[in-house]
Amino acid sequence: MIFRSEASRGYTLSAPATAYVGFLVAAPLVILIAYSFWTQTYVTLDKTPTLKNYSDAFADPLVRHLMLRSIWIAGAVTIVTVALAYPIAYFIAMKAQKKTIWLLLITIPFWSSYLLRVFAWKLILGFNGVMNSALLALGLINEPLDFLLYNEFAVVLTLAHAWAPFAILPIYVSLQKIDPSLLEAATDLGNSPIQRFMRVTLPLTIPGIIAACLIIFIPTVGDYVTPALVGGSDGKMIANLIQVQFGAANNWPLGATLSLIAMLSVGFVAIVFVMSATRLGRRIR
Amino acid sequence: MIAGFQEPTRGKVLIDGQDMEGVPANNRPTNMVFQSYAIFPHLNVGNNVAYGLRGKAPKAEIDQRVAEALEMVELGGLQDRGASELSGGQRQRVALARALIMRPKVLLLDEPLSALDKKLREQMQFEMRNLQQSLGITFVMVTHDQYEAMTMSDRIGVMFNGQLKQVDTPTTLYARPCDQQVANFIGEMNILPAQLLGESDDTLSIDAAAFGRMDIERNPNVATSARNMNIGIRPEQLEIAVDRPEDYPSTVQGTVSNVAFYGENIHYHIQVAGAEKPISVSVPNYFHTVDFKRGDAVWLGLQAASVIDLGTNSE
Repeated sequence: MIFRSEASRGYTLSAPATAYVGFLVAAPLVILIAYSFWTQTYVTLDKTPTLKNYSDAFADPLVRHLMLRSIWIAGAVTIVTVALAYPIAYFIAMKAQKKTIWLLLITIPFWSSYLLRVFAWKLILGFNGVMNSALLALGLINEPLDFLLYNEFAVVLTLAHAWAPFAILPIYVSLQKIDPSLLEAATDLGNSPIQRFMRVTLPLTIPGIIAACLIIFIPTVGDYVTPALVGGSDGKMIANLIQVQFGAANNWPLGATLSLIAMLSVGFVAIVFVMSATRLGRRIR
Repeated sequence: MIAGFQEPTRGKVLIDGQDMEGVPANNRPTNMVFQSYAIFPHLNVGNNVAYGLRGKAPKAEIDQRVAEALEMVELGGLQDRGASELSGGQRQRVALARALIMRPKVLLLDEPLSALDKKLREQMQFEMRNLQQSLGITFVMVTHDQYEAMTMSDRIGVMFNGQLKQVDTPTTLYARPCDQQVANFIGEMNILPAQLLGESDDTLSIDAAAFGRMDIERNPNVATSARNMNIGIRPEQLEIAVDRPEDYPSTVQGTVSNVAFYGENIHYHIQVAGAEKPISVSVPNYFHTVDFKRGDAVWLGLQAASVIDLGTNSE
């Protein structure tokens, strides 16, 4: 009786998820927005609405610098990850015989904790780490390289490794969906393998590439564990600053404001990206 | 193999006298209409048709040739239609236009009509036949539909298990099949055992069991020399009547065991004494046709000229 119509059935089925999202996403977001208009006065909160947090944040060169760096690092991570993931996804979808085993292998990094994987990179890249020891033992360098760890490079490398499966899977799915006869048709109409890839395979996987980019870009902009552990002072990102506001600096309103600014910036960049990628895809003929 | 997606293990593919060995699919003067049509989903109709010409001809020429090709398949002016907005018949036409615009020497069609409903299929059969005649391009079409093959082709190659059994015109294929398998596959055929009594250069004297002795024409496509042989009789070549048909030299009595109404034709299965399987008879559905019912006793009449020599019985 509850399922009288298609619509009410839909509502009923999605109700648990709606409630969950409502309590755990919408409500905190409302609280966050409220906080961003308040002021911290030592231990108490002044709840008079004000835009001072926003003007402070925009005026602060550190905020701007960290925000731009976060977007730059996340962008670099996205490009590196997707560029490395595409050939892997292509291999699994088009060439591999035992796809299931390959897909299983790709998920192996998830079998250990993310923190452990970050620490593993610390061990590999550190001053006395695996990389430096190996290079020293081989006699390729005379003293340990110090540009491996505690900088942007280390953050990009660590994040790219951590997020690789998230890029491979959506691209794999979109490659998998391509009807092989489309590729034969392109060859039949005179395309070399490279032309065929540029004109058929690539445009048909654009949705997968966009999905992969968003899945990686959005969370990495706000990542704070990785920069905190391998970023050093050069690799700090906006999330580290936000964390400080909610912790040591005890300025929750400013923290809330920075969070919202970060969220909006990410949204803006993502929308511009999706629109330009879609438009670019349409121009391929 | 003709298109170049597979290399032959033996033999050669010659197109216009040129050996195609080692020529990759993208450099062959062939184009293909795929069974699934393989319309590029990210491109509109115009760009689909123009696909093979991009970068090979100036834009104005491409536009003009696309317009012509679409006109040819009766889709004129639909260049901007999205690939997903096409019906099955339209997709088929786009695939055809996309292949024809390349002006191939050979157009390959892989069961191009199998995805269409019967009405549309018959319409496309005629259209494609007309198109082929007016363009003068060789079409090589794969089909499982014998009637489609017969209505559309100049020559038919019948294949079983990867072997080309017979290549002939539709009429020869129908009248002089090279063996039982082909006889059975192209149209319906009653296959009966017979005894070979004597032979001359172009006639055979046979004893056709229930139908008696007769002299039939030798089939040059088969070998007939042993005593046990097979003969074939097309269902439409048999006369069915209530009384013994006087003007037929060979007659036999039987009982109607089954009736199938096809609209333009009525098929009867007649059980004849001495024959293992019932004999199929097809009668045009004239308004004056006598309707036979299951269990009716009937006479079948046969002319020696309608009997097809199917060669020595190999079993």
